[in-house]
Amino acid sequence: MDRVNLSLQRSLTREGGVGNLPEVDKKELYTTASLAQLELSEQEAERLAAAVGQMLEYFSKMREIDVEGLEPTTHALLKTNRLREDIVVESALADVLLENAPEREDRFIVIPNVL
Amino acid sequence: MEGLSSWRKVLSSSQAKQAYAGYVREWESRIGAFLEFDPDRSPIGAKPLGDDRGTASHPLAGIPFAAKDNIAVEGFSLTCASRMLEGLASPYTATAVSRLQAAGAVVVGKTNLDEFGMGSSTDTSALGRTSNPWDRARVPGGSSGGSAAAVAAGLVPFALGSDTGGSIRQPAAFCGVYGLKPTYGVVSRYGLVAYASSLEGIGVVAESTAVARLVFETMRGLDPLDHSSVDHQPSGEAHSPLRVGVLGGLSELSVEVEGVYRQAIKLIRELGMTVTEITLSTLEYVVPAYYTIATAEASANLARFNGIRYGHRPAYAENPEQLVRTSRDEGFGEEVKLRILLGTYVLRSGFQDQYYVRAQRVRTAIRNELASAFTGVDVLLLPVFPTPAFKRGDEGLSPFQQKLADRFTATANLAGVPGLAFPAGVIDGLPVGLQFLAPAFEEERLFRAAERYAEAVPAEHPAGYSAEWRR
Repeated sequence: MDRVNLSLQRSLTREGGVGNLPEVDKKELYTTASLAQLELSEQEAERLAAAVGQMLEYFSKMREIDVEGLEPTTHALLKTNRLREDIVVESALADVLLENAPEREDRFIVIPNVL
Repeated sequence: MEGLSSWRKVLSSSQAKQAYAGYVREWESRIGAFLEFDPDRSPIGAKPLGDDRGTASHPLAGIPFAAKDNIAVEGFSLTCASRMLEGLASPYTATAVSRLQAAGAVVVGKTNLDEFGMGSSTDTSALGRTSNPWDRARVPGGSSGGSAAAVAAGLVPFALGSDTGGSIRQPAAFCGVYGLKPTYGVVSRYGLVAYASSLEGIGVVAESTAVARLVFETMRGLDPLDHSSVDHQPSGEAHSPLRVGVLGGLSELSVEVEGVYRQAIKLIRELGMTVTEITLSTLEYVVPAYYTIATAEASANLARFNGIRYGHRPAYAENPEQLVRTSRDEGFGEEVKLRILLGTYVLRSGFQDQYYVRAQRVRTAIRNELASAFTGVDVLLLPVFPTPAFKRGDEGLSPFQQKLADRFTATANLAGVPGLAFPAGVIDGLPVGLQFLAPAFEEERLFRAAERYAEAVPAEHPAGYSAEWRR
């Protein structure tokens, strides 16, 4: 790795030494994948378990900092809900949106049999 | 505006357009900044807003620009550089874009990005590879890498990008151009494909501070179509000369970036600005808090991609559930899957307090520390990324290392404040960018500071850049 000094290289790799990665439990990974409606191949699960585990381990660094008494921030600047007026406006988007449907019959979107 | 006048000609006649397309084609065979380029595409979305912005006299009238391909422009595709959305025709135009079009500016193409904006190299794009115009073996940065590369090569005077954790500023720094991430909500997000809603916004990569300011002023403002949009309310206050906060104890920077950072501090002092050393003790918690929040929001936002109403659909599926799973398996790349998985994990019942809620409280601590830093200074000068543009593959940075390197940029997204990356110097043939950060709504301070800097250190161009063809 040219141009990157050694201390940087060391510090950036310190938590990710190859061969000794913290892995998230495979069962947990498949449960999470199922909640996220993701299909994972065996190989993919292998790689992602390592990558997810590495990030989760890194997230645990947040335990070090004292956040006692601090409210969670959901939005940096948004203080209140800003509602628009409840009025009728025209929108001609429906047809354009339908044109992007992968399979369609007239104005119906076709999916495989539910039952 | 002087710098833009030569750009006004390039779409004015078919002969001029040919010269333009020729210059772009030559560069594109080497850098691949665009996913779509067509200076003739009629800007269908260009409907005047009906306000008093006269198009003929507007300085942006007739000026070509590009938009990152996660920003909707009617008449173009909207792919997010993902197989999931390949070929999707954009049904409408983002507010930020239509305001520029109303001023007379013309979209000429859509630029490459990391898939759904997730990455720091543009290499996670499923639809094309973009190279750094300064060195083709290196990445242009990301996720708005195509926008930054296009501006650096002189293919457009500005290009829109989006910045969730540094995605405008980091590629701007890697490519030696200006990159503005505005205050959260000041530019409407309507028409930006959502990744992490509480962090991201549309901003601009530009050839100069003046162009960045002009585009920002044209795009910004309350939008009824984005309920998180806010009015721009600058205090108008700033010390003259500007008081600049800089980081004292620097570590984990490459020699190049550290060298340029120290030189820049010296220079701004010579330029008459006041320099104060500050410490940001929360800096080391920025990346874990940022990725917890960003992935949590991503897992919710990307749930909409299921292959039913639009997007990739598998050739065959037994039932709707299989259709959704296969669509997502085939449609998403691995980095996107990783972030969806992580985000789903940190939001699972039983883990929420430990990860997501904790990250939001850390976010408060980061905001508070930044706010208190700004009580004594007008702007902060920070590095953008610990290294200059890195090489692809094993010689570069791993995806995990790239994430760790987001600490300087993601701070601004967590706090909602604006940041401007600017070219601070060229070392061994590669540009090094730094950034100014300001309190919310104080973009003008960023422009002022960067303009002063450019008087002493003008931005340079990569070899092969030319403005001759448009003179």
